[in-house]
Amino acid sequence: MSAAITPVRKRTLGELIRRLLLLDLFKGLALTFKYNLRAFYEPRDGGNPNQAIYTEQYPLEPARVSERFRGAPRLNLDPDTSGTLCIACDLCALACPVDCIEVGSIRREVRDGEKVNKKKVLTTFTFDTSRCMFCNLCSEACPTDCLELTQSFELAVYHRSGFRWDREMLEKGINYVRYTK
Amino acid sequence: MLSINTILLLVAPEWVLRLTGERQPDVFWAEYIVWPLIQIALVLFIILTLVAYLVYLERKVSAFIQARLGPMRVGPWGLLQPAADGLKLLLKEDIIPLKADRAVFMIAPIISVVAALVVLSVIPWGAAWATIANINIGLLFILAVSSVSVLGLVLAGWSSNSKYSLLGALRSSAQMVSYEVGMGLSIIGALMFAKTLSMSGIIDAQRADGVWYVFFQPIGFLVYLISALGETNRAPFDLPEAESELVAGYHTEYSGFRWALFFMAEYTAMIVTSAVAVTLFLGGWHFPGLDWLRGQTNQAVFVIASVLIFAAKLAVLIYAYMWIRWTWPRYRYDQLMDIGWKWMIPAGLANIVLTGIYYVLAMPKAQGGLFGLMQSQATQMGERLVPTAWGKLYFIATGFAVTIPLVWLLLATINRRSRDFNLHEQRQLQMNLRRERIQKSAEPQAAGSAQ
Repeated sequence: MSAAITPVRKRTLGELIRRLLLLDLFKGLALTFKYNLRAFYEPRDGGNPNQAIYTEQYPLEPARVSERFRGAPRLNLDPDTSGTLCIACDLCALACPVDCIEVGSIRREVRDGEKVNKKKVLTTFTFDTSRCMFCNLCSEACPTDCLELTQSFELAVYHRSGFRWDREMLEKGINYVRYTK
Repeated sequence: MLSINTILLLVAPEWVLRLTGERQPDVFWAEYIVWPLIQIALVLFIILTLVAYLVYLERKVSAFIQARLGPMRVGPWGLLQPAADGLKLLLKEDIIPLKADRAVFMIAPIISVVAALVVLSVIPWGAAWATIANINIGLLFILAVSSVSVLGLVLAGWSSNSKYSLLGALRSSAQMVSYEVGMGLSIIGALMFAKTLSMSGIIDAQRADGVWYVFFQPIGFLVYLISALGETNRAPFDLPEAESELVAGYHTEYSGFRWALFFMAEYTAMIVTSAVAVTLFLGGWHFPGLDWLRGQTNQAVFVIASVLIFAAKLAVLIYAYMWIRWTWPRYRYDQLMDIGWKWMIPAGLANIVLTGIYYVLAMPKAQGGLFGLMQSQATQMGERLVPTAWGKLYFIATGFAVTIPLVWLLLATINRRSRDFNLHEQRQLQMNLRRERIQKSAEPQAAGSAQ
């Protein structure tokens, strides 16, 4: 049996001094003291990992979400005419894997200068947020950048019927109760 | 015949005496009954509020150290959190386990908290009337009474009839008993200089010598601080409450206000040990410039200033406690015992011997000393040996430059074999030794079988 005898490593002088003066313990103390001190004078910037205080006071101050976060749906309006951008093409409803979108429309004559066109016009738009899985396929299917999933995430309601968002809610958004500090 | 003067005499005898300038005949009631009761009420109120706010402070310090905010919701910056906690604990159901020893279970937290609170009476919170009882064996009293709190923990662990409680109690009793020895030894060096056990006397001695005893006794101070951490069961020696092993240690089965009593005892013990450290090593309520203030203003201002100075020194030590708790990890149990018995006690003993030698050498030549660095002086404590300027330098230099290396050498010699806490390396060493032994014993047999 020729088991290799592993020699116990000799400490270098530097390591010896570290041990003697308990440098590692004091290094730890210095680090925690630095954090404690920074907590007093550093302005808080919630969610910043390099900050002395990482905590976000969520209901009192808006919580941060990632840029790619997909939350509450919204129907965008035309910034010039403030009419809806939706052309009632139904592509979002077709794209939706869970069938949570219902688009209601009528054909109507729309005057565009001299010409009179028969056009599909949006009447109702129902979005069931309880079924939605926030996959963003509807938003990607939308040809006019009308339907969009925003970063708002406070979707809780008191009753199930509240999950069915109608066109008005989708265009205006919900009115949240805002708590202040 | 209850004149205003009599009422005032009951409440504030010193002020009346100072105003009238003559000794009053019936000062007994004021001096021994009414005034102490007022002091007790005041100190209890302040300390118990302080304990509640120490919990708040602990939560805040831990939060800041861990990049959190801590309690923020109850009141501005969570300042009313202690009140909410206290109310919750008061209103909670008082659960006593079915198989617990009821009487002992109920008494245990009371023993713990009383042992912690009684000690508050002899601590010199400030000059003159800020001390409740200035007894001449104050330090002895503190050490004796605070060791009774171990009894509370042991009884709590035993009567709970739970394995976690029992193990926690066993651990805490072993730990507190062994750290008490180191604590007692570390104090003696400073007492040699003070030559009194009275708490106020120790402060007066430091005023007379003109030096805080930390500078004479660096090793003593260090050993005292570490032993105090062990004695109060705080991190890194909080093994009795190691939540990863023992749920909550000796108070696992306690809830509501009985649990709060244990908590109170722990934090009061923290205040007491810090106060003793401040008194013995950091000059108590004394601070350079305070004597000047005494000449300038009336006594009340002076006493309040002295109380504030004491509180500031206390706060520094208590912050250090919390700082250490939220920085360092817990020691293993064998390491804890190692530190108590093989490091703290030898260091304390060596410190006593060395301090004694320095002291004898520095005595006046007429009294058999060698250097004559001390001289007899009339102080407010009476005749006492006070080190001269060179004497102070001598004591400080020996304390730092001779005691520390010598104690270190001693500890290194004692702990030559167990110096390394690293279990991995120790195991490696043992495995190597065993391998060598096996090889040695196997060689002749191998040779025999080959033939």
